[in-house]
Amino acid sequence: MESLLHFARGPGFLFAFAFMVLGLLRHLFLMIWQIARTYIRAGDKSLPYSAIAISSLEWMFPIRKLRDQPVFSLTSIIFHLAVIIVPVFLLGHIELWQRGIGLAWPGISNSLADVLTVVAIVTGLALLLQRITARATRSLSRFQDYALPLLITIPFATGYLMMHPAINPFPYTLTFLTHLVSANLLFILVPLTKLSHMALLPGSQLVSELGWHWPRDAGSRVAASLGKEGAPV
Amino acid sequence: MTREKVLKSVLWFFTGILATVTVARFLKGLGATTALNDATPWGLWIAFDVMSGVALAAGGFMVAATVYIFGRKEYTPFARPAILTAFLGYAAVSVGLLYDLGIPLHVWHPIIYQQYHSVLFEVGICVMLYLTVLFLEFCPVILEHSCFRHPLFRKVHELLKSFAIPLVVAGIVLSTLHQSSLGSLFLITPYRVYPLWYSPIIWILFLISAAGLGLTVVITESLFSSWFFRHKSNLRLLSHLARAASVILFFYLALRLADLAARGQLGWVLTGSWQALVFVLELSLVALAVILFQSSRIRTSSVGLSIGALLSIAGVIGYRFNVSIVTFSRPENMSYFPSWIEIVVTLGIMAGALLVFIFFVEHLAVFPSESEVDEPAFAHPSASLAVNDPLTMRLLLPESIAAVRRYSLAALIGAALAVSLLSENVRSGAFDLKEPVSPPLQVTGSSEPSTGVSSITRLLAVFRERQRYESDSVRLFLIDGNRNGRLVVFDHDAHAVRLGGQAACATCHHENLPFRENTSCRECHRDMYSQTDIFRHPDHVQKLNGNQGCVRCHTEPGMIKTRDTSLSCGTCHTRRPEASRIIQSNEEGLKGLAPGYMDAMHNLCTRCHRMMVEESPADYERAFAECAHCHEEQGSSYVHDLGPYSAEGKL
Repeated sequence: MESLLHFARGPGFLFAFAFMVLGLLRHLFLMIWQIARTYIRAGDKSLPYSAIAISSLEWMFPIRKLRDQPVFSLTSIIFHLAVIIVPVFLLGHIELWQRGIGLAWPGISNSLADVLTVVAIVTGLALLLQRITARATRSLSRFQDYALPLLITIPFATGYLMMHPAINPFPYTLTFLTHLVSANLLFILVPLTKLSHMALLPGSQLVSELGWHWPRDAGSRVAASLGKEGAPV
Repeated sequence: MTREKVLKSVLWFFTGILATVTVARFLKGLGATTALNDATPWGLWIAFDVMSGVALAAGGFMVAATVYIFGRKEYTPFARPAILTAFLGYAAVSVGLLYDLGIPLHVWHPIIYQQYHSVLFEVGICVMLYLTVLFLEFCPVILEHSCFRHPLFRKVHELLKSFAIPLVVAGIVLSTLHQSSLGSLFLITPYRVYPLWYSPIIWILFLISAAGLGLTVVITESLFSSWFFRHKSNLRLLSHLARAASVILFFYLALRLADLAARGQLGWVLTGSWQALVFVLELSLVALAVILFQSSRIRTSSVGLSIGALLSIAGVIGYRFNVSIVTFSRPENMSYFPSWIEIVVTLGIMAGALLVFIFFVEHLAVFPSESEVDEPAFAHPSASLAVNDPLTMRLLLPESIAAVRRYSLAALIGAALAVSLLSENVRSGAFDLKEPVSPPLQVTGSSEPSTGVSSITRLLAVFRERQRYESDSVRLFLIDGNRNGRLVVFDHDAHAVRLGGQAACATCHHENLPFRENTSCRECHRDMYSQTDIFRHPDHVQKLNGNQGCVRCHTEPGMIKTRDTSLSCGTCHTRRPEASRIIQSNEEGLKGLAPGYMDAMHNLCTRCHRMMVEESPADYERAFAECAHCHEEQGSSYVHDLGPYSAEGKL
């Protein structure tokens, strides 16, 4: 068990994290390369850049999206915030970075981390529930759409148990190992699944806009038939 | 299609590994990434990447000579692939050399700082010139591509073509010079090259074996290309090449044995040493290839040709390896086996060269167009239609995009894997100084010594005289943790008696293992200079009742659970004989780390010896507390020079 732990936090973590970082860089490179390639071949090279920029920012900071689906959007925003803040700003994790690469940054208090961890688990499950119950999302969902939210809750749940060993019904080492293995698995899955949106989101609006510009005037004609003239599609 | 995808993915995988270890090599240096040492400054990178790489690329000048000098035009189909192989081979040699040079940026120095008496200078200049010649020889093939339609390029093309013959001649001259000089390098180490390999004519042997090897490499490369690109290979011409190779290799074998016999060194084969076995194996590989190539049936089948060619390649590369690494003599305790980084750098450079070879063949007219094609070769990547690529789970991507996705993923996996394999030493750039401790030698002696330590008699005499023993029988410990011959003679029983018998055990024996009475020092102080982790976490978890016990040591559950944030051992383990113990410092901060053996022994012994001198100066002279009192052999000045080793290790 101890040797497994040693592996998961040593070479296992290094592989998973390097795979994630390099994999996201690969995605960025591929995206830029394919955008350039498409643009060179596009029939219509006039792109509404300012509209694309605004639309990209709207999706990256979706405050204005709150109007359309307030409950779902709010749950999603809170989930994303918690999922980003807890692992990055947890004091224990920062200390590990400090030991490993000598970099440290301000963290959040452990009690706030506890609250946000519970929030992440609850909102994650709520989003999954919403996906299952709504017919439209159910018909759009793939296996990874169900599996990933469940997988994401595992490192959070085990992390919470590790912070409170007194209420942990499982052996500590097993909890620790589950925490490490599930987190490593997530790191590996990031470049291979839709989780890669963490790097690709800023370019997504440009990519979809560019798609409509391949044959000349195709975009504006589709926009006209959808009744969305002048707006990015 | 499949063989292309699989092979290219594997090659990109190794290239990915190479990318990561390249960063490690150039950031952290040779010491942290290689197994090279003072006795073996030339390791795998020289033996394979340079010595064997240059020999493997000898096909270029052999085929060029055959076609352009001897006018055997029927071998023209082999010329372009052979020159490309040679060019990439020498490029790989140069890249490999950059990894091996301590200061890679100084690789151009031979051009300016010319050492006319140095063989290495001759090799360096020759390889630089020949790489240029090979590039110019191959340039016309590149300039034929449709990218270079500009009249200026056409002019350059014509110019280079008119220089073909002078370039070929220059190539042959340069090859002859440095292929042999690689052997001449070993003429300055006659006593380190094993007698079965050392020869005053080693440079002739290197040249002849390279010539034979060059032809078998052309055969191998031709067979590989016809398999990979689905060309039909011209077995009749290949069998002629095999025939020529077998003649050259036979001449090489005969000359080598004749040289050994003439100088009376052949008897070394009969010594039964492992070197003799290696010698027989190496020569029989080449001999087997020569014999196989005598049969025209074997020579005209692609399987027979492959086996024969691979045997001879193994034999001649084995020659280079044996001369430069395997049988190269070195001190007993300084063996060399390449580190994994050295191995993957070699593999990665080969993979990269092969990828460039495939790229050139796919995009340039390397193979003559009139060669018959077994079945439609796969078309130019971007011309093919959408395909289903199960690896990236993308449907309907054009092959050009799918290929980039696939091979970048393969390289990515390799790069990430290499990151995880880099050990702590490589990442921190520290040297691995692990030096496990061996137990003290126990000597029971009266008049005759009972161990093989040569100086024991003298030490016993010195010791007995000093202690003025009454009894004839003495039991001594010779403390020499890393077995480097510098030992301290320690009389355990005399110390016990002097300190007060049974009751005094705890004076020296402090943190004994549970339920153990006579724990040897080295059971905890396991490394000569570095700290050892002696804390057993699983045992404590079990003893303290699982999760409920975490807070007993990790008082703050929210904090990261490390050695630094938990209570020290002494908080719970208080029932230890305190007062009589010599080692008492560091008690509060003790976290289950045992200092290095040398530090531990020095602390224990010198502390007590100093106390004795201070407490009763009448009985003990000052010298009693000085190094030379115990370190009998070295003499005090030497020991004083040793300087303190730091006990701080990363754990």
